[in-house]
Amino acid sequence: MSSLPSNLMAAMLLLPLIGAGIIAAAPRLLAKHIAVGSSLAVFAISIMLAWQFPEWTSGRFWPNNSASELALGVSFTLGIDSVSLLLILLTTFLTPLALLGSYTSVAHREREFYAWFLVLLSAMLLAFMARDVIAFYVGYEFTIVPMLFLIAIFGGDNRRYAAIKFFVFTFVASVITLSGLIYVAAARAQTGLPWSFGLAELQSFAQSNDFSDTQRYWVFVAMMIGFCVKVPFFPVHSWLPLAHDQAPTGGSVILAGTLLKLGTYGIYRVALPMAPGAAVEIAPLLITFCIIAIVAISLVCFAQKDVKRLVAYSSVSHMGVAMLGMLALNPVGVSGSVLYMINHGLSTGALFLCIGMMYERYHTKDMDKLGGLAKKMPIWAFFMVFFTMTSVGLPGLNGFVSEVMCLLGAFSARPSTALEWPGLIGPRWMLIAGVGSVIFGALYMLYMVGRVVWGPLKEPGHGHGHGHESSHGHAHAGGHDNHGLPPDLSAREVVTLAPIAALCLFLGVQPWYVLDAIGPSATTTIAAYPEAVKNYLRTQQEAEAAKGSLAGETTPEITVSPDATSATGGRISSLSDGSATSHLPISSATATP
Amino acid sequence: MTHSMAQPMIQLLAEGGVTAPSLPLIHATLFVSVVLFSIGMIGFLTRRNMIMMFLCTELMLQAACLAFVAFGRLHMDVSGQVMVIFVLTVAAAEAALALGLVVLLYRKKETLSSEAWSELREDVK
Amino acid sequence: MDHALPDSRGRFWRRLALAMPIALALTASAVGLPFGQEGTEAAEHAANQLNAHAAHAGATAEQLAALTKVLPQQAPGLSWAGWILGLPAIAAVLCMVFGFLKLRNKLPAIVTVLALGGAFVTTFILYQNYESPVTVHLYDWIRLDWSPGSTTGNGTLAAGQSLIADIGLHIDGLTLFWMLFVTGLGTLIAIFASEYMESDVGGNYARFFGAVSIFLLAMGCLVMGGNLFLLYLGWEGVGVASYLLIGYYYGKPSAVAAAKKAFIMNRIGDLGLLVGIYLTWRNFGALDYDTIFRAIANGSTGGETAYLIPYFLMLGAFGKSAQIPLFTWLPDAMEGPTPVSALIHAATMVTAGVYLIARCFPLFLLDPNALPTVAWIGGTTAFLAATIGLMQYDMKRVFAYSTVSQLGFMFLGLGVGTSYGAAFHVFTHAFFKALLFLSSGAVMHGFAGQLDIRKISGLRHIPGFKVVAYTMLVGCLWLAAIPFSAGFFSKDEILLVALTDHTHGNALLGWLGLFTATLTAYYTFRVWFRVCAGPVSYVPGDEHHGHDDHAHAAADHHPHDDHAHAGGDDHHGHAHDGGHFHPHPPRLAVNGVLAVLAIGAIMAGIPGYMSLAGGSNWVKKMIGDSTAVAGVPDLSSASGHAGHAELLGMNAHTLLLVISFGISIVGIGGAAYFHLLNRKAADNLKQSLLASPLTGWLPRALENKWYVDELYDGLFRLPVRGLAWLLAKIDSYLLDSGVINGIGRVPAWVGRYFQPLYNGVLQGYAVVMAGGLGLILVWMMLYWIAHRGGAS
Repeated sequence: MSSLPSNLMAAMLLLPLIGAGIIAAAPRLLAKHIAVGSSLAVFAISIMLAWQFPEWTSGRFWPNNSASELALGVSFTLGIDSVSLLLILLTTFLTPLALLGSYTSVAHREREFYAWFLVLLSAMLLAFMARDVIAFYVGYEFTIVPMLFLIAIFGGDNRRYAAIKFFVFTFVASVITLSGLIYVAAARAQTGLPWSFGLAELQSFAQSNDFSDTQRYWVFVAMMIGFCVKVPFFPVHSWLPLAHDQAPTGGSVILAGTLLKLGTYGIYRVALPMAPGAAVEIAPLLITFCIIAIVAISLVCFAQKDVKRLVAYSSVSHMGVAMLGMLALNPVGVSGSVLYMINHGLSTGALFLCIGMMYERYHTKDMDKLGGLAKKMPIWAFFMVFFTMTSVGLPGLNGFVSEVMCLLGAFSARPSTALEWPGLIGPRWMLIAGVGSVIFGALYMLYMVGRVVWGPLKEPGHGHGHGHESSHGHAHAGGHDNHGLPPDLSAREVVTLAPIAALCLFLGVQPWYVLDAIGPSATTTIAAYPEAVKNYLRTQQEAEAAKGSLAGETTPEITVSPDATSATGGRISSLSDGSATSHLPISSATATP
Repeated sequence: MTHSMAQPMIQLLAEGGVTAPSLPLIHATLFVSVVLFSIGMIGFLTRRNMIMMFLCTELMLQAACLAFVAFGRLHMDVSGQVMVIFVLTVAAAEAALALGLVVLLYRKKETLSSEAWSELREDVK
Repeated sequence: MDHALPDSRGRFWRRLALAMPIALALTASAVGLPFGQEGTEAAEHAANQLNAHAAHAGATAEQLAALTKVLPQQAPGLSWAGWILGLPAIAAVLCMVFGFLKLRNKLPAIVTVLALGGAFVTTFILYQNYESPVTVHLYDWIRLDWSPGSTTGNGTLAAGQSLIADIGLHIDGLTLFWMLFVTGLGTLIAIFASEYMESDVGGNYARFFGAVSIFLLAMGCLVMGGNLFLLYLGWEGVGVASYLLIGYYYGKPSAVAAAKKAFIMNRIGDLGLLVGIYLTWRNFGALDYDTIFRAIANGSTGGETAYLIPYFLMLGAFGKSAQIPLFTWLPDAMEGPTPVSALIHAATMVTAGVYLIARCFPLFLLDPNALPTVAWIGGTTAFLAATIGLMQYDMKRVFAYSTVSQLGFMFLGLGVGTSYGAAFHVFTHAFFKALLFLSSGAVMHGFAGQLDIRKISGLRHIPGFKVVAYTMLVGCLWLAAIPFSAGFFSKDEILLVALTDHTHGNALLGWLGLFTATLTAYYTFRVWFRVCAGPVSYVPGDEHHGHDDHAHAAADHHPHDDHAHAGGDDHHGHAHDGGHFHPHPPRLAVNGVLAVLAIGAIMAGIPGYMSLAGGSNWVKKMIGDSTAVAGVPDLSSASGHAGHAELLGMNAHTLLLVISFGISIVGIGGAAYFHLLNRKAADNLKQSLLASPLTGWLPRALENKWYVDELYDGLFRLPVRGLAWLLAKIDSYLLDSGVINGIGRVPAWVGRYFQPLYNGVLQGYAVVMAGGLGLILVWMMLYWIAHRGGAS
């Protein structure tokens, strides 16, 4: 194993920081070019990394060497598997576009904006690359700082409040996560093992007998608190609409596109493999929240007046779908969930870009003041409708595959010990999630498009606020204070949106490129779950049986097949599938790789 | 290190026992140290003149230094004296800095009273 | 960036930038375009599976035997059939390019017509080469496999452990039958639209044809797709095309609302379809028809949730095909340009539900009550829509309700077990309904958007409109199903089975269908007598070519406001252009398409009537060569019943012929009396009905479409809005301001108790510090004492 991957990854981490340094020293007007240039270079390196990556379909990490310890068990080990790499690619792909989309919208303190943006890129990449919880946490947590400044300096009218809320909310929650992680490390060290914060070491320890169920439970709760806030999960989502509402366009794109994925990635990478037993116990509650998020937040979207808030709330609802897929705890659901992260990043990021472009021209996001912009901005309208369609999950575009996989995974996760991949909540509840996702999801998105893009042309009045534009010099450019932007999208803006659109189409038509890469990783991640779920179901069933007369009424689907216990590596032999409880009449078909 | 130093001191104070030839010396030295420290602390708490307050902090510092030296002697260990040299160096730099600050503050408000500087106060709502 | 006119400078770059996504998109699709990479998966899938067990719920042994015969073979050599999808796709991309370039000529139309024509020709060649059902694997789409054995390649794979949906075609009789008329009509209507839409030449023109191309692409996926996911792709794709085209005049709020309504109502159905697909996958372990139907042919009936499959699938079908309870979007969809109404909302897309049920006919036999449900819904919808059609004044709306009604007949046919009859009716209906819509579109085009049947009269005497008037007559006659018309044959087939079939038939619905047919004849000819016959008079609509801004403002007429305008005694209202208005008659493309469609409609009955060798006919042969075979009487069972069924002691065929004569005469005669000979009588009748409190509700309810829209508003729309508002308030006040910010305030509250310690006085801080130090000292002492005490 050469040191090539480590070098590439180190280059990806350092390049943005160097770029940020140069920006700080360079002339103001060059800042954006340097930023785009260095982020493009990072993108190029990430493509190179993906090209070199040998483990696309194996689910293994690369490089897979041992930790190089710094001090006290803290190491700086980098290693990626296919899922991390996909998210890295998403990050490096979206960042130059977000920067490009901010070219004209950031008119003051450019150097700070672009420098912070590059720091943000570096931090996110570190979180995705880390194989050590401290390194992961550093990256994970350090994303907050640049984001804080991006919102607090370049945001809307209420930016201070939004920034503080964002910071405090996510920071406090992730400190709890950190405490959970450190607790595991400390408990491990107390058993006489050397200190280590390596993810793999901690996970294997947390599943060993040295760790009690209670400990596992609380550690998992602690980790979920931080990650759920970041996702953002239903009851703790309220920082997100505010942050999005106030954040500048580029910040929103990255916030929705990749920053939120840190939460789901954390759950996927850190929390789920850490404590299967505890996860199974909490999962029903989380699933309930997912369903509430999907349905209720969809409706909340529908009541919004502000386009950006609407899309922000839609993120909450969409991430609920991703979490639902993840908590289905079967390969379809989890693969779908990971794919959903990528797709949501693309489509929602693009929607924020579109909204930003509209905002630059009209200086409002209020749906009551806007309407029928298709007449003025047909190209913009094309992209807006396109990305709306990806967002509502139109087949043939990327959103569909992941949404359907999440829902299918959730539907399939029935609480039956006879299944190879049992779940926790039956499909009936999932139907409600389906209603929320498929119908309400379309409802609010079309409502937005119907008001903003279609309908009679309605533009906000000219007579407010733009004192410095005294003459009618800009009349040709649409008559607004729009930085000399053309009425419809400029070439730069089209270049910003077009790659995302092309990628959305590509992922919709050929998702298996990505799915093939996700599948093995997902299966590895949740390998311990079937057994954990079965244990949980058995315990539940015993409790029901102990209650006597009430037994069997609440969980009629649970059945214990004796040979289900003879599982090896979390998988029961497929022969047991032919037992009487199987719902599957066709017990065999051929697998063709 | 702290532990090994504190234990005999506490024993000494509590029992007043006489088990080593140099004990009267350390007894006296520590007493002086305590007195010095108390004077410094009381002075710091009661005086409002910033120069006086600064001198009081120096007094407390020297009390600590004295204790260091005394224990160094007790254990026949030079690290106590090393520490004192170290403290003296830092204290010298600090004194220069602090006096400069005092002068600056004086120039701002034409008074040496520390009560003139209470910007951090926040009224309880 | 602050230059004066970046627009002109950026134009080149913008165009270049636009070329990029297109190139990328083309590349993306082209990655898969090596049509015919070896597709062995499905074959191997089919090779070893299926332990047949369990008795079957609905399918008879003969039906299963017939199904076995139509199971497909792999045919990699036919991968060129993929161009049926590829051509519209290319046309769509090109139209997008043209739209971006704001091309001001008819190139989009030419490209679209060529592509659709090419698709039709390809379909036809495919039909010529067709021998027996085949599947064609084009390329992979979704492929997930997590069975334990999948890594080694020879492990056994339990059902539901793989999610495989390739972009592949399932070509059998049903597919070809459907695709032939879809692509054929698509081409014709695109030609029609090239002239009809010419006032919009420019970006909008390209948008229109781009959406039409997308529609054809999606419809192709829907019909030809080899698995349920691909069907779903097409299903949603046609929904989006329909959304874009209904909302084509997006300056008009009603069009936007109609588009949204169509999409949302379809989405409700789509969820049903999606759940149905899930259940199918769960129960049969696969998504491709081949595997599913092979399992059923081998006697499998799925698991214990399999009985739910047909119900969810039919929900999807009802959404797309505008049946109760999801029918209200279709009449509103007439806000779109008329060619769209003809193509999508009459001839092709709305029949997708029929296709779905026909394709999945074996699945509908899984539960004995599934088909009767379809029959009841279909029969009721047919009747309800016909009653609404009686009282509408908007020509297109009448035809829209007639479409709903005829779709109801098709579902009735499916429900009583004749997929043959339903498919035949789809076929004939496609022709005459497209004809009716296009001719009414020609009228609308000629009279500046006028669609009110009270405001145009005597069309056949107006110069230039003869072709329109008489082709419309053909359409009306065929819709009214006068004997020996195509509409008669197909409707007759459905009603015959409904009345006589012993297993699925439902005589009650059959008679209701006959009554509905009477109503159909009446309302159809009500339109024709009003518009095309009678004295010449017309009021133009308010759609004035050249005034683009107000061109598409809604021609919003309230049925209550105006009474009889018969006889041309109308001179209020549209005074501004009444005086100098000249209707402009259609030119060659429109007339030509109308004529071709009329001929097509006239001949459409022949394939169902002419017998081939062996007592079958072309339609039967085609449908019988597909998975819908169980619904083709002569082929599915040895004891065919169509030939010698009896009804009321007579030969059913003869009796139905007589009855059809009767109902045509009653319906058309009634229409002739009320709307041609004595137009006042209709209003008098209405007035007298309105006058009586006992009967007054009837015309009111009919004019207001039985208040279904209002009912849905009250039941769903308002509650959803209210709930949304409430939840938003809960979210922002209770959750965010209350709980979350409340937690955020806790540290502040705690801190407030300690705040007096920090009073800004330096000595204060020192005291606190000294106190702290003292506390530590005290603690140390205590610790020591405790320690010492414990030790001694």
